[in-house]
Amino acid sequence: MIRTNRRKLALTSAVLAVAAMTASSLPAQAASDPGLTSTTIKLGITVPLTGIASPGYNKIPGAMKAYFDYVNANGGVNGRKITLVVKDDQYIPTTAVAKANELILKDKVFALVGTLGTASTKAISASTQLAKRGIPSLFVNTGFSGFADPKAYPTTFSILPSYQMEAKIMGKFLKDKYADKKLALIYQDDDFGRDALAGFKQAGITFTTAIPYASGSQSLPATGAGWISKLKAAGTEVTVLFGVSSASTAALANAYAAGYKTQWVLGSVGGDATTIAATNKAYVPLLFGAKGFSFAPAPTDATDEYIKLFQSIYAAAQPTQTFDNNVVAGMSNAFVAVQALQAAGSNLTRAGLMKTIESKGASFANPFLTPLGYSATSHVGATGYWIGTYDQTGALKPDGGKYTVYTTDSGTGPVVESTYKRPAMPAKGLPN
Amino acid sequence: MLKKHPLFTFIIFGVILFLLSNRVDELRVFQGATVAIYVIAIASIILLTGYSGQVSLGHGALLAIGGYAAALSRNEWGAPVWLTFCIAVLAAALGGYLLGLAAARLSGPYLAGTTLALAIGLPSIANQFTILGGEQGLLFDIGTPPSFLGEEFTQYKWFFWIASLAALIAIYWLRNVMNSRYGRSWKAVRGNDVAAELAGINVGRNKVLAFTVSAGLAGLAGALLAMTISTVSPGAFPLALSFSLATGAVLSGVTTLGGVMIGAVTLVAIPEIVDTVVHRFESSESVANNLPGLLVSTLLILTVLFVPNGPVEQMRARHEKRAKR
Repeated sequence: MIRTNRRKLALTSAVLAVAAMTASSLPAQAASDPGLTSTTIKLGITVPLTGIASPGYNKIPGAMKAYFDYVNANGGVNGRKITLVVKDDQYIPTTAVAKANELILKDKVFALVGTLGTASTKAISASTQLAKRGIPSLFVNTGFSGFADPKAYPTTFSILPSYQMEAKIMGKFLKDKYADKKLALIYQDDDFGRDALAGFKQAGITFTTAIPYASGSQSLPATGAGWISKLKAAGTEVTVLFGVSSASTAALANAYAAGYKTQWVLGSVGGDATTIAATNKAYVPLLFGAKGFSFAPAPTDATDEYIKLFQSIYAAAQPTQTFDNNVVAGMSNAFVAVQALQAAGSNLTRAGLMKTIESKGASFANPFLTPLGYSATSHVGATGYWIGTYDQTGALKPDGGKYTVYTTDSGTGPVVESTYKRPAMPAKGLPN
Repeated sequence: MLKKHPLFTFIIFGVILFLLSNRVDELRVFQGATVAIYVIAIASIILLTGYSGQVSLGHGALLAIGGYAAALSRNEWGAPVWLTFCIAVLAAALGGYLLGLAAARLSGPYLAGTTLALAIGLPSIANQFTILGGEQGLLFDIGTPPSFLGEEFTQYKWFFWIASLAALIAIYWLRNVMNSRYGRSWKAVRGNDVAAELAGINVGRNKVLAFTVSAGLAGLAGALLAMTISTVSPGAFPLALSFSLATGAVLSGVTTLGGVMIGAVTLVAIPEIVDTVVHRFESSESVANNLPGLLVSTLLILTVLFVPNGPVEQMRARHEKRAKR
């Protein structure tokens, strides 16, 4: 009898404990959207700060903060100062979901910004139900064409051109320049690579050899060596690599070790010298002569007014870090975010912000050398690429000494040489 | 009451959970779902270690099998959600059966080593086969909650309901199994396998069976874990997960199913507590990242030192001692 009473007591107290724990945090009724006060806007980002993919990417939040702080110091956006909550997802989609959950449920951010990686971004969208809850996911750092489609991802906005656009422009370049050569393609066998395949198909490019790889397998020693022996056997003259930078590292290093020479053409994702240097500094010169693609001004181009401003802001905020294309990416992202928040006005809401990007986004001031593509039917960011060649230091320099920009779309549209002239930067690079 | 009307108790508990899920904010609901998943995973370890005497440090790998099986069956064949969970259980049970065949010949540290190797090795297999999606993994989308539950019914609540229901059913079923012939046989094997054999119990077969059942439960936990994060990838099943599940089992008391909540709540609560502490003192990011591990390890050591059989068993032992007096 005593025993049953004890049990009852134990059970009841356990239930009470759970009840007490959970009841202590009943939801508060919010008057405005979360993450917003009359003087602050809270944004959240999850990126790889540690782990295999972190070198390079880990500079993005610091770069964004540097620009936000610069804006805050100059009065903020419509009187509100921006804070950025940073989480480390290690480039693991499951971790990214957990971190995004923290940002949304615990930190209660107004919007996500700059989520990085196709798989992480997809997983976050599915798990946290961004669309259903109307949470904006601004300027995601992935070029998967799906994110530019408002029907599939109504609250997500891209900043990069789509991988499909990149492949189409790359395809035109290959046709113009290497029409009679034997072409090979190494690509990541997921949404990222498949997007590129669609673009190449549209461009009418056929590769003699196409080598898919599972993401992650590039870090196994045998993988890179396997690619090179396949390329060699096929007598490849030009090799396109549409993968991440660690795949580029594996390809370049193994080609060098095997004494194999090919003309490398690297996708914009895989040509980051900072990432390659993090594996081994000695690999950076292997980039020399490779072709690469970008849509932002080169980080070394001090004649560009945006680069000049960004360099001075970043040097003051992060004096020990080098200024590279990851920093340009981060600061540009923050720049466009500020433009959007400014345009949405002082009566800021999540829905209003997204409406504003759709209606006015194409005319936002921004550092890119291509027009922005935001509209009610497309959430794509930049819409094209310029083509360059890597020098010995791993810096991408535009071919012919000036930026020749090509633009296209993610559909069947043609690749055309752009006549876009970027408008002058707003005074001091501040929202106006 | 638990002894006399177990089913009734479980239903009551379910109703309480249901009422609670409507009262608390989304973060707690999400954490509640995680607790339910840990309950299943820890119960699976308790069954294996506490009841059949086999040690597994590689339960993360079995969770991974379940998660991948669920995602694959959904993505490739469009299986309905309930079926994906069944497939996850079967796939992991099959994996557990094969592992159990080897495990029945091993014991103590050798078995721990084998399962540990599995936890390290298995997830990286995903990098070898394109169908498994490499490091980026696979999406596992169970879809939105049915519309008759209303507009206000959130995704997290949906996850919580599914996970809680699965946990309640699993624990109820497991409790009955433990009180059946199989449960008694497993306990006999753990107690003394020679004696068990003399009593007519087939030790090898019972060990394999325990491993299979435990793996099936782990597979269910894996599929539920994949559900809450909508994706499976090797990174979701790190070695740390296997270890924290083993820790959860020790905190719960490896020989008592009743304490399973303790371990599960602890595993979810500790990062939360650390976060609060860290925010209060504005400590650095590295403190925030490493403190949960330190706390869990400390708790583990303290448990082993002072309540080696777990708090529930300890309470019962003390109570029985007093009753005898």
